[in-house]
Amino acid sequence: MATKLLPVVKLATKVGIAGGAVYVAYDSGLLGGSEQGSEALQKARAAVPPAIEEWMKYFGLQQTQLPTIPNVEFSPVQAWNSGVRWTISRLSEAPTKASEMTTQGFQFVKDLLK
Amino acid sequence: MSERELGRKLDRCLADGVIKLGTGLGLGIVFSVLFFKRHAWPISFGSGAGLGMAYANCQNDLRWHYLLHRNPKVALADETTQR
Repeated sequence: MATKLLPVVKLATKVGIAGGAVYVAYDSGLLGGSEQGSEALQKARAAVPPAIEEWMKYFGLQQTQLPTIPNVEFSPVQAWNSGVRWTISRLSEAPTKASEMTTQGFQFVKDLLK
Repeated sequence: MSERELGRKLDRCLADGVIKLGTGLGLGIVFSVLFFKRHAWPISFGSGAGLGMAYANCQNDLRWHYLLHRNPKVALADETTQR
């Protein structure tokens, strides 16, 4: 009786764990729209430092022993725009720089030949 | 759509992509360990499904501004949330 019941119990446990994982993911808005996803990311980022503090207290570590996580604020649009501006400004300066470097190069060769 | 609005939507797309990829990866790992004898394909499948969901959300989000909304409340809600 027990040997027949054990595989059923194992399967039921696995299905329960998998179903619970899917439910938790759905309930916390991880599988919803893009607004819910970004809200969940903000909540996770806000919850990480207190969670780290609690774990450090649990293990008896001092706050200074662990390095602080740098707060990285990255906007792809800002990065792209600044990259475009940098490229265009370098392209506009390129002829002037090229002529200066050519002049310097000729001067260097002249000095070498003296 | 203004540039600021587009920027916000793209940032949201990126954040959503990260969340969905991580969720898909996590659920793929769970299913791989529990049901599929630690094979790699459920993990790949979950990650791909997560990225696909994020792509679909981003596509809908970017197209939302140009669609004609039948319900005036939806159109009004869209205008107020986009400011």
